[in-house]
Amino acid sequence: MSAALQPAAGTEILEVKSLSMRFGGLLAVDGVDFQVQRGSITALIGPNGAGKTTVFNCITGFYRPTAGQIRLRRADGSVAALQTLKDHRIARAGVARTFQNIRLFAGMTVLENLLIAQHIKLQKATGFGIGAMLGLSGYRAAEAEAIDRAAEWLRAIGLLDRADDIAGGLPYGAQRRLEIARAMCTMPALLCLDEPAAGLNPRESDDLAKLLVSIRDGTATASPPTSVLLIEHDMGIVMRISDHVVVLDHGRKIAEGPPDQVRNDRHVIAAYLGEDEEG
Amino acid sequence: MAYALQQLINGISLGMIYGLIAVGYTMVYGIIGMINFAHGDIFMVGAFIALIAILSLMSSDLMGGPAAILLVLAISMAFTALYGWTVERIAYRPLRGSFRLAPLISAIGMSIVLQNFVQVSQGARVKPLEPQLRGGVELMRDGDFVVQLSYMQILIIVSTLAVLAVFTWLVTQTALGRAMRACEQDRRMASLLGINTDRTISLAFVIGAALAAVAGTLYLLRYGIADFFMGFIVGVKAFTAAVLGGIGSLPGAVLGGLLIGLIETFWSAYFSVQYKDVAAFSILALTLVFLPTGLLGRQEIEKV
Amino acid sequence: MTTPQSASIAARLRAATLDALKATGIAFGLFVVMVGLRTDIGPTGALLLRTRWPDVAALCAAVFILRLVLALSVRPQQAAVTPARWAAGLSRAGLLFGPALLALALILPFIPGIGRYELDLGILVLTYVMLGWGLNIVVGLAGLLDLGYVAFYAVGAYSYALLAQYFGLSFWICLPLAGILAAFWGVLLGFPVLRLRGDYLAIVTLAFGEIIRIVLLNWVSLTGGPNGISGIPRPTFFGLPFSMGGGPGTFAGFFGLEPNPSHRVIFLYYLILALALLTNWVAMRIRRQPIGRAWEALREDEVACRALGINITNTKLTAFALGAMFAGFAGAFFATRQAFISPESFTFIESAIILAIVVLGGLGSQIGIAVAAIVMIGGFELFRDLDEYRMLVFGGAMVLIMVLRPRGLVGSRSPSVLLGARRE
Repeated sequence: MSAALQPAAGTEILEVKSLSMRFGGLLAVDGVDFQVQRGSITALIGPNGAGKTTVFNCITGFYRPTAGQIRLRRADGSVAALQTLKDHRIARAGVARTFQNIRLFAGMTVLENLLIAQHIKLQKATGFGIGAMLGLSGYRAAEAEAIDRAAEWLRAIGLLDRADDIAGGLPYGAQRRLEIARAMCTMPALLCLDEPAAGLNPRESDDLAKLLVSIRDGTATASPPTSVLLIEHDMGIVMRISDHVVVLDHGRKIAEGPPDQVRNDRHVIAAYLGEDEEG
Repeated sequence: MAYALQQLINGISLGMIYGLIAVGYTMVYGIIGMINFAHGDIFMVGAFIALIAILSLMSSDLMGGPAAILLVLAISMAFTALYGWTVERIAYRPLRGSFRLAPLISAIGMSIVLQNFVQVSQGARVKPLEPQLRGGVELMRDGDFVVQLSYMQILIIVSTLAVLAVFTWLVTQTALGRAMRACEQDRRMASLLGINTDRTISLAFVIGAALAAVAGTLYLLRYGIADFFMGFIVGVKAFTAAVLGGIGSLPGAVLGGLLIGLIETFWSAYFSVQYKDVAAFSILALTLVFLPTGLLGRQEIEKV
Repeated sequence: MTTPQSASIAARLRAATLDALKATGIAFGLFVVMVGLRTDIGPTGALLLRTRWPDVAALCAAVFILRLVLALSVRPQQAAVTPARWAAGLSRAGLLFGPALLALALILPFIPGIGRYELDLGILVLTYVMLGWGLNIVVGLAGLLDLGYVAFYAVGAYSYALLAQYFGLSFWICLPLAGILAAFWGVLLGFPVLRLRGDYLAIVTLAFGEIIRIVLLNWVSLTGGPNGISGIPRPTFFGLPFSMGGGPGTFAGFFGLEPNPSHRVIFLYYLILALALLTNWVAMRIRRQPIGRAWEALREDEVACRALGINITNTKLTAFALGAMFAGFAGAFFATRQAFISPESFTFIESAIILAIVVLGGLGSQIGIAVAAIVMIGGFELFRDLDEYRMLVFGGAMVLIMVLRPRGLVGSRSPSVLLGARRE
């Protein structure tokens, strides 16, 4: 692994502040604070039921948090308050995500999956369908550009030769990578990955780690460096590639810091070993 | 006032019929998460079987008295339940795990099949049945207007309550009920715990069809007509009842049924008979848009 | 069969017979009342029962034999392979079949032996082809189950009839207006409900369809209620009427032809053919565009679409409105062809027929829909005696297709864009 560049201080891309989420009587997330630094890979870990996925769904707009703020600071300095946005607006604001149980457009081809990710841009170029209907050149250029971007990502994930195959027919590991590429085709400021290594064999996990680092560093394609937030159970990957780790347990943050520090934190060890820490 | 009281009685007795059918929708929805589009037609089949049973009994001079009506109910429930079972077996079971729209389209197909099967086998004409149960109890008199609780309405209310009582016992107190509720929570887990989910689902269809048969029989006796298309409108209204009560909730289905019955009756009495179906359909749309969980339904948390 | 042992054959036979007997028992239970005892309305108006035991016996025997044959012939592996191979063959044949069908449709009016009746039938079939292609945008591409499609057909038909009646507007002005109005209604009805889950959407669209029909039926002062609207102007050849008088301002007069009533029928035939082909062209064209791909993505996975920034309500709305627009065109055509419309033509059954055509055609396959419409509409029209069984066959086929091959009978989806083709 290439040595990760230390992010400049005070350049957080995502700021989560006293985030809480209540389902009926259950307080699934309870006043969680953390930040994702620009250009970093931040991992959100914790035992089952710690509230990781809930935090994730709040950030990506699938849940509306009960309380708290989620701020996305984009490269141009503008700030989006994600907790107020609807899910599809969040994607447009610059947050892309993948899903724990892969959600590709299984009946469509690999390339189509990547073009749908660029829908917003392409749709604008069509002039609300009229231009494209008549085959105007503005749309053609936009489509060619979109295909080029898709092809670049396919090369990065090693699926260029499968571009015209049905996505649902790819092997499991390839589907995981494709889902990441699809998220990247939305050109996000922040990439959120929900257990990207789940179900991968060691070799595939290794490839994934390299891919994530290259996404962070902007070396995967011509796309600029992209910050990554991930939930992961595979501690090997987390410890190897994360710049920053946030640990949740029972809906609360119990520790955060660089991987080495978190690994030796006694709260974290207790949470994972199942000792009762709530006294 | 007297007029309103009469409408209240009419509305409740109609609402109970809707409630019985709505239970079938909601039960199936709770367990396998699909709208059994053919359920209204199962109700229609129930009415036809009851009609044929009544005619058979009449031809051997056995019709008359509560015993005969009980027998008709039993016959209708038994044969209609077989229809419910068959529909599930043929049109729904092979589709578990198929793509999203498949069960729904199959259900619509099944609904068309049932309607047209009855049309072909029993003819397209509306079948009139002379009243089997006349008279009633006079409740109050307001000038010329008499508020009456007819024996027919008493029969509807009593038999619906009885059937629902048995049904409630079945769902809350027996192993079958536990299996059904387990399937509702998590079908995969239930099957891992040794519950025969296929059988449980089949039973839900059988019970739902039997309840619809009771509704069909009562509807036939009350309104004196049966035709192959009667399940369509009644089915949509009962589905509306299930949605209004909160789909998946059994008490909600009965509550929704009563509400729809009352709304329809009062709408017809005070506004316009022509637009009574519009009232029911509008409630359906409004409920789904503004109160998708219904009155007694649970909030569904989307899992991503 | 690979060297089967006689013992296993006997066991199989026994199992199959047992299975068939069980099915027959169930069939007996189903049919003994509903088929065995027929209710007839007697001369006095009272109901009479007529027994038909032989019919029950025949049905039970049929079930027994069918089930036995099925149990003996179906082998798991074969069942999986055959349809796929069959479909591949079909789609290969489809490459030639489509153009051949189109060519036939184009020259149909001039084939000797094709008379007025055949052309009328052709017009009817093409109307359903167009409706099927229109609904396919909604159901096949966007995956929205619309059970009230006929409502937009009605909106189109009534739009033309009323605009012509009250404002004297001509067909050629009303045709686009009918489409626009239907699309407008699609947006109006779709906006609140398109957020709903698929099955709720289905039943709400059904409710809307019925509401529109009931309103048409009861708003007598505007729509004529159950009596409908008659005397709807016939179409003109871009201003030239088809008149038997044959004066200078008529179609026949202008082109110097002998006035002939078949001119109008031929014109109507080409008109609906053009409208249907327009529907097909737009649908095919849009499928290769961002919005069309977004529709298909919606059909595949709504949640993923949301995560990619696609506004799913608006995207659904465009599909819904576009589908409604084509129904509106078809409705205006229907009104001008019939010169008479009434709410009776716009019942739920019509929606069900159109949906059945789309489903039987293979949910998304244009050529499949055309074939389904020809077979199901044309076929039953030719065998009038079987009309009673038409809907039974429709419904049964819908179930059968969903059980056997839910993604459709004809071919598989062709990608909207290829990387390979671009590189070559």
